[in-house]
Amino acid sequence: MDISAQVFWQGFLNGLALGWIYVLMALGLTLIFGIMHIMQFAHGEIYMLGAYAAYYLTASLKLPLFMATSLSMLVMAMVGLILERFLFRPFKEDWVSAVIAAVGLSLILQSGAIAMFGLHHRNLPVLAEGPFNIIGSIIVPKDRIAAVVVALFLSLALYLFLKATRYGQAMVASAQSPDGAILQGIGPNKMAALSMGIGCALAAAGGVLAGSLFQMGPFMGTLSLVKGLLIIVIGGMGSLPGAFIAGMSLGLIDGLFPILFGHAWASMSPLFFVIVVLIIKPQGLFGHE
Amino acid sequence: MNRESMFKILGCIGAIALAIAVPLLLSSIYWTSVLTMIVINSLMAASLRTILTIGEFSLGHVGFMCLGAYASALLTMKAGLPFGLTLPVAGLMSGLVAFVLGYPFMRVKGIYFAILTLVTSESFRLLAFNWRNLTGGIDGLIGFPGAGVLSIPGLGQVDFDGFTEYYYLALAVVSASLFILYRLEKSKLGFTWLAIRDADKMAGAVGVNVLRYKVIAFSIACFFAGIGGGLFAHFERALGPYPTASFGIITTLYLLTYMVVGGKGKFAGPIMGAIVLSLVYEFARPVEEYQPMIIGAIAIVMVMIIPEGLVSIPERIRKWRSGILD
Repeated sequence: MDISAQVFWQGFLNGLALGWIYVLMALGLTLIFGIMHIMQFAHGEIYMLGAYAAYYLTASLKLPLFMATSLSMLVMAMVGLILERFLFRPFKEDWVSAVIAAVGLSLILQSGAIAMFGLHHRNLPVLAEGPFNIIGSIIVPKDRIAAVVVALFLSLALYLFLKATRYGQAMVASAQSPDGAILQGIGPNKMAALSMGIGCALAAAGGVLAGSLFQMGPFMGTLSLVKGLLIIVIGGMGSLPGAFIAGMSLGLIDGLFPILFGHAWASMSPLFFVIVVLIIKPQGLFGHE
Repeated sequence: MNRESMFKILGCIGAIALAIAVPLLLSSIYWTSVLTMIVINSLMAASLRTILTIGEFSLGHVGFMCLGAYASALLTMKAGLPFGLTLPVAGLMSGLVAFVLGYPFMRVKGIYFAILTLVTSESFRLLAFNWRNLTGGIDGLIGFPGAGVLSIPGLGQVDFDGFTEYYYLALAVVSASLFILYRLEKSKLGFTWLAIRDADKMAGAVGVNVLRYKVIAFSIACFFAGIGGGLFAHFERALGPYPTASFGIITTLYLLTYMVVGGKGKFAGPIMGAIVLSLVYEFARPVEEYQPMIIGAIAIVMVMIIPEGLVSIPERIRKWRSGILD
């Protein structure tokens, strides 16, 4: 197949940006699963609502995108706290019921979004205008770079929070050993609320980035949810480097494989990829028992 | 024969008699097609529960339904095979794919397995979406024949293209499938599955090949998902791989709610859930955009109030009454 360098390069950059959006999803999901042991099926809807919140803040209140994104993350964090307290806390012992509660929530939020926002696609304002020109003919659109920078910043912030702050260390402790954490005076409910809040804020940020780079609609969350969950399996639960590598691989598969091998192969590649990983290392690339 | 199994047999006979009589009583094409969907959903939900008997949770059942549907539709359309042959082939294909995928997938448990099945179903849907020259891609697959004329022993040649005839065909296939699933669950194989669910390391220690039995359960469940897909294809006569249509994640969510709202602990649970929730869904058709919301709200309320599902209600009432009487 004959493809020009420019098309390849665009696919590469799209893949990179997509990969970072998936990583934001996966970080939230792994945080929530690590501490609450539930599969947050409605995370894709949180991502979608985050994008819509930013859309309405920019469209009706004429806020700049940066401020709208921050506000949307804050709002979704509050939503996460409310969900943790009133929906997920009663199901702490029963993970199947918790999954069903999340499934029900996902159905409610999705049809609510269709009823409220309609089915048509919308666009958020672009993150940054125009391209960079580096070395002659290679062009880098600024918005892709901006998205990567934002996602990188948020991931690093989460990493530093988990490594270097009291609350972050308390969350890590609670994920590693809930009982041990309780003995040290770390309340599991507080940690669960914190993980839901942070997770939902990250999902909202991912949603805004996706809505700005690509398109937004009521169903935008589903694909990112699947990718976010897949990253957890490939990278290993609770591993940040695993999430980065898995996210980049999936993003680049999405960006480059349709150009290189056609759409049909590209749609099966994530499945083949995860099967290979499972055969070599069932606990994920960076996972441990 | 004790009283309980008497009740069970009578209940089955009653349910089948009702299922046979209802389309004749209602005699409306609309309700007959609703009933056909209910029958197919029952098989999907019941076979989903088969995976739960090994303690795993599949979020990708609809993917195998998609596979079966496209297999049966394409075989009748491109190879001109009769429906009586393509339906079992559709099931076998889904079962075989599940068997091949089962070995790597069953190396992980719980939520990881659930995620893998979810990815599988989305991959199959996207494949149908993108493999234009085989599946019709975004335009969907249309123009494949219906069930057509089949020769049934004792009845001779019957034309199953009509709605009512097709309903009875689907009912017969699903009843037979449910019977097989039920017998399997009560057989030695079924007890091995339960042993693996309750204590897989122990089962392994006494010489059960845990991986193989898990893969067998997964393949059998997916075989029947393929059968359900084949029935669905020739009922709808059109297949579309859109994310919001029948093979999207939303159907997986519905199947899960059928199973849990009906009651995942008993064989009748998913069937009951499929019947009740499909009817709720139909009656909510005037407020179409809120249908998923209603189903979702019912799911949340049910797991909060009666996590054992609808089938546990008689038992609850009995306990409650005996509590009063004592």
